[in-house]
Amino acid sequence: MKTEAVTKIRAAAKAFYRKNTEENLVAQRSEKLTHIVVSTIRYILLIGLCFVILFPTIQQVLMALRAPEDVNNPAVIWIPETWSLMNLRIATLVLDYWNALVNTFKLSAISTVLQVASTALAGYAFGRLHFRGANILFFLVILTIVIPPQALSLAQYLYFREIALIGREGSIYLMSGLGMGVRAGIFIYIFRSFFRGLPRELEESAIIDGASVFRTFFNIMLPNARGAIVTVSLFAFVWQWNDAYYVKIFEVSTAGFPLLTMRLVNAAEAMYPALFYTGALELIGQNIWENPLFLALISNVAALLMMLPLLIMYLFVQKQFVESIERTGIVG
Amino acid sequence: MHIKDFPKRLRQLRAKLPELSYKRQKNVWAVIFLMPWLIGFALLFLTPMVRSFLYSFYDLTPRAGEILTEFIRFDNYLYAINEHVFRNTTFRTELVETTFNVVINLPVLLIFSLFIAVMLNAKFKGRAIVRAIFFIPVILNSAAVATALESGASFSAMLAEQNIETIFDLEFYLLQTGMTPALISFIVELIARIYSILALAGVPILLFLASIQSIPKHLYEAAKIEGATAYEQFWLITFPNVTPYIIVVIVFALVDTFLTSPLSLLITHELNRQNWGLSSAMAWLYVATIIIILAVIALLAKVLRIGGSHYEN
Repeated sequence: MKTEAVTKIRAAAKAFYRKNTEENLVAQRSEKLTHIVVSTIRYILLIGLCFVILFPTIQQVLMALRAPEDVNNPAVIWIPETWSLMNLRIATLVLDYWNALVNTFKLSAISTVLQVASTALAGYAFGRLHFRGANILFFLVILTIVIPPQALSLAQYLYFREIALIGREGSIYLMSGLGMGVRAGIFIYIFRSFFRGLPRELEESAIIDGASVFRTFFNIMLPNARGAIVTVSLFAFVWQWNDAYYVKIFEVSTAGFPLLTMRLVNAAEAMYPALFYTGALELIGQNIWENPLFLALISNVAALLMMLPLLIMYLFVQKQFVESIERTGIVG
Repeated sequence: MHIKDFPKRLRQLRAKLPELSYKRQKNVWAVIFLMPWLIGFALLFLTPMVRSFLYSFYDLTPRAGEILTEFIRFDNYLYAINEHVFRNTTFRTELVETTFNVVINLPVLLIFSLFIAVMLNAKFKGRAIVRAIFFIPVILNSAAVATALESGASFSAMLAEQNIETIFDLEFYLLQTGMTPALISFIVELIARIYSILALAGVPILLFLASIQSIPKHLYEAAKIEGATAYEQFWLITFPNVTPYIIVVIVFALVDTFLTSPLSLLITHELNRQNWGLSSAMAWLYVATIIIILAVIALLAKVLRIGGSHYEN
């Protein structure tokens, strides 16, 4: 009798439990379903857009890896018939690649540090230190963003000639350090928006603890501005790397200090002399270098070589982007 | 003043004192923080700017060893607007066209880049790779690269010869499905536009991504506990926190479009032909156009209350 009752109760409990879990399962399943649908849509969209971005690049990479003889071989459309690094080798010669890479890296890195320092300070002053005349001065910042650089180039050139900085990398450093570098106005704007977005409690608690304005900036605001610093550094580096304008008017790129952009622009404008003077012609036969398509191909490959270091660098910087979330998470 | 009141008065003063001095401290530090920028502005920007502004009212003719100047009032401006012709285009048409393009493209660009930034912020497999791919347009957006690829114009002719310029002939397939030509041309143009928008969206996406990531995480945690859906979280947390950046993105996109437009090329062209007065006048017309557009946008933002900081009020 007793055992019968026990088994009955157990069976009922089991049935109840089963029913409950089944309901749970249904709820879980529908949740899972929406999750699957959302992530599928996301993947389709992202893969499509990535394809649109990557398609021309992939095409160029495959072109670059063909043998120079195949440059307009109609039988080769996508996959090279004979794989070859010859085009890359010629492009490195034309760009004076390794020297130019080291110089460009040095120039971009130093100017990035200077740009971040000068624009972060200015951005903080505009964003947080509510001083008199801030609006008028900020209008001037907007003006520096808006005016096309070529309108100022002549007078700037004359000034730099006066202080004997033409043909020297110092001209770029001076511009960056004084907050007038490549698109410095936008950086000031980014920092201003970012510092404005930080919660006021941060500053108030610092004041209560007796911190000075500078300490508040340096020890409290700056560590929290990591996201903005990473973003601005990234843009400053890339834009300095790609800059062909200031580098050209200040004549920074010389034979002794080659820079990637200027080598690339000069080579693209006159590919045959570039091949001739760097001795790249000896690597290939006449029937190839007489082909205008081959010359065009080399300037494409050279452009790819200029971009490649930036892409590799970005893969490392990306981790910083993720870390900055966890840091700011503490704020609150 | 009564002696009795003295301690009270002292307390009041003390309460007032740190606040006042802190404000003054802030003013002093503002000057110090702005010093590099102020020096740079005065040395490297102000003189060239004033000089360029003055040039725009003069006719400058280079002669051996000197430059002849003649004050001609607004003639440079009038010439730029009414008479300037270069090849098959004029300054005026380019100015109008660029302005229209910007005004039409800006909203699309903003919505698109914010949408992509939100997607790239979510966790999914392969996120690092996808983010790196979206960074490619930022890198490719360079004058040097453009020159290098331009010299490969014959190159794209070759691609067309081999029929691999377009992956597949979309128009042809669509015609076979029996759609109306108007719809087909719309779709084809839309797809052609995606790339140009993607190319411009690289920087805005990164800016939005950075601002989304700087939103304190506990806001989302609290929202989740309260049972907010992803949709509500976007409108109530993400969007208000991102708005200060919307104006930055607008400024960037506006300036970038103008800088890479034929307008900028026309200014450079006149500069290289030593028509300094005309080129300066064009540059100032260009600046005036951008500032007017910005002023309208700033006004709209104020009316719609976009762009103010979330925390400030």
